[in-house]
Amino acid sequence: MSELNSALQHPTYNYKVVRQFAVMTVVWGIVGMLVGVLIAAQLAWPALNFDLPWLQFGRLRPLHTNAVIFAFGGCALFASSYYIVQRTCQVRLISDALAAFTFWGWQLVIVAAAITLPLGMTQGKEYAELEWPIDILIAVVWVIYAVVFFGTIMKRKTSHIYVANWFLGAFILAVAVLHIVNSMVIPVGMTKSYSVYAGTVDAMVQWWYGHNAVGFFLTAGFLGMMYYFVPKQAERPVYSYRLSIVHFWALVAVYIWAGPHHLHYTALPDWAQSLGMVMSIILLAPSWGGMINGMMTLSGAWDKLRTDPILRFLVVSLSFYGMSTFEGPMMSIRTVNALSHYTDWTIGHVHSGALGWVAMISIGAMYHLIPILFGKARMYSTGLINTHFWMSTIGTVLYIVSMWVNGILQGLMWRAYNQDGTLTYSFVEAVAASYPGYVVRFIGGSIFFGGMLIMAYNVYMTSRRDVEPQAIPATASAA
Amino acid sequence: MIQHTFGLLVKPGTQWRTIAALPESTLRTLLLYPCILAILPAVAWYYGTTVIGWTVGDYGEPIRLTRESARQICILFYLAMVACVAIIGYSIHWMAATYGATTTVTRGIVLAGFAATPLFIAGLTGFYPILWLDMLIGVVALSWAVYLMYLGIPIVMNIPQERGFLFSSAVLAIAMVILICLMVGSVILWDFGAAPAFTD
Repeated sequence: MSELNSALQHPTYNYKVVRQFAVMTVVWGIVGMLVGVLIAAQLAWPALNFDLPWLQFGRLRPLHTNAVIFAFGGCALFASSYYIVQRTCQVRLISDALAAFTFWGWQLVIVAAAITLPLGMTQGKEYAELEWPIDILIAVVWVIYAVVFFGTIMKRKTSHIYVANWFLGAFILAVAVLHIVNSMVIPVGMTKSYSVYAGTVDAMVQWWYGHNAVGFFLTAGFLGMMYYFVPKQAERPVYSYRLSIVHFWALVAVYIWAGPHHLHYTALPDWAQSLGMVMSIILLAPSWGGMINGMMTLSGAWDKLRTDPILRFLVVSLSFYGMSTFEGPMMSIRTVNALSHYTDWTIGHVHSGALGWVAMISIGAMYHLIPILFGKARMYSTGLINTHFWMSTIGTVLYIVSMWVNGILQGLMWRAYNQDGTLTYSFVEAVAASYPGYVVRFIGGSIFFGGMLIMAYNVYMTSRRDVEPQAIPATASAA
Repeated sequence: MIQHTFGLLVKPGTQWRTIAALPESTLRTLLLYPCILAILPAVAWYYGTTVIGWTVGDYGEPIRLTRESARQICILFYLAMVACVAIIGYSIHWMAATYGATTTVTRGIVLAGFAATPLFIAGLTGFYPILWLDMLIGVVALSWAVYLMYLGIPIVMNIPQERGFLFSSAVLAIAMVILICLMVGSVILWDFGAAPAFTD
């Protein structure tokens, strides 16, 4: 193993930690999406929980969200941020030992999550379910991550801090603050604790955290990734550097206020709900700033599309980013939210961001990174990347469309009433009506998951030293 | 006009090339195409929701709309379809320069209208609404329409295929945004008076 690593060592940069995180991105992507496919199947065919407590939807759903957001997305962010910060600052990470600590610490967090969540140990806060000992470990790993990242920036050899690092830095700082404030609890044992906040305030802190997990973890971090890999893969400069700076400051200034739109028509004061709604609508502008910048950068690289399916992942991820950041503000309008909230429309919205944007741009970035990290000219098979691209796109579209149909159906059925004022439908009738949508969603999710398996095979073959990359077939791109 | 419809469904590549070669004056006549085809789904759903009705789950009587309510909704539905084609067509024209094509608003709208052919045809399922079947047919029609667009844009705009791929993706993003506008617009309209009224 040490011999293998020494052969792959870069003279200047620490590629080892990047390689470790990149490989784990694929591994956790498969695990997280498999759990997702399982719980999607459970919603269509409930018998699939086999009456086992640790296979219940309620326990596996947080496992799915934690695995795809923090394990898959987190590893992708660690890998790309360590790579980007070294390449754009032209120095090695300040400490290999601290970087290694963040890798092993983060894997430990994920394994701990995979054990405790099915056992039913939870703080009951969405996207922050892990119990307090794991929360402390996360905080420690995250602070070390910040030290490595900002320490590397401080000893950079270039005078300029490239915009990708601004986004990644904002992501690291904001997530540290969010995680620590939201996870404040009073422990009553190793596996049980109570939030220090009460009632409505607890809900507001939860969604201040929850929405900014979306805003900073899943948006700012991945925009940082976009600002490095899109110009790199297109071999063109960013379309407008000024736009990238303006939308950076607008994004970090506005996102933090949008949380209350998760609490429309609840005990939260009306003014706070309205403020959250207004801020969410304003958020459209900085979100689209990023999309336009990425799209315009790519639009000049059209001649490379024939040989480069990675570019397609990047193009489509930006399209889905534009779509879901438009859909989000619309759904935060209270009139719309009255229908859409608690329905599958919300699930569809989350996945157009999660599959379409976050997963697709991560996959594109990994296909760019992995050959570099294993000292190859390109991925083992360009044709398989192309297959993966189509599976991802079709899977995402099936997922979103089925959830739109289900969401509107549920919203309408729940609010339908007869002339005499009684409800037209019982809840279970709405569940029964959702069945076809659940089956289509399961099919879409399975196709997306299948694409990840193809990726894993391609990555494995790229990593083998005795296998050379296949020649690029002339028809690789026949769209 | 009818031969274009069948042509696009049977041998789309050839048909797009025929459309691309048409002179501007003929294209202007073809602006009527989406206006006429959009009648099919509107009428189909008016009949389906007032006369046949639909059932949800395994329970009870079919649900129907009152005639007044269905008329109002189907007219709005028709206007929304035509407006969508026009807006998508205009944005095709608007973005064309970025992707190295010279075009006119007419050309953009005709392209959008023809690409939507499978969706208009699929709207005929409204005559006999079965929820799950309509959803499946809708997904197939949608994929077909997207395929037609990806195929048609490079041909009609006379640009390389790869450039057309980027162009089509940008159009697709706009189409998705418009779709969301429609969903949100309907929800807001329901709240402000155009809610469907059901027969008892």
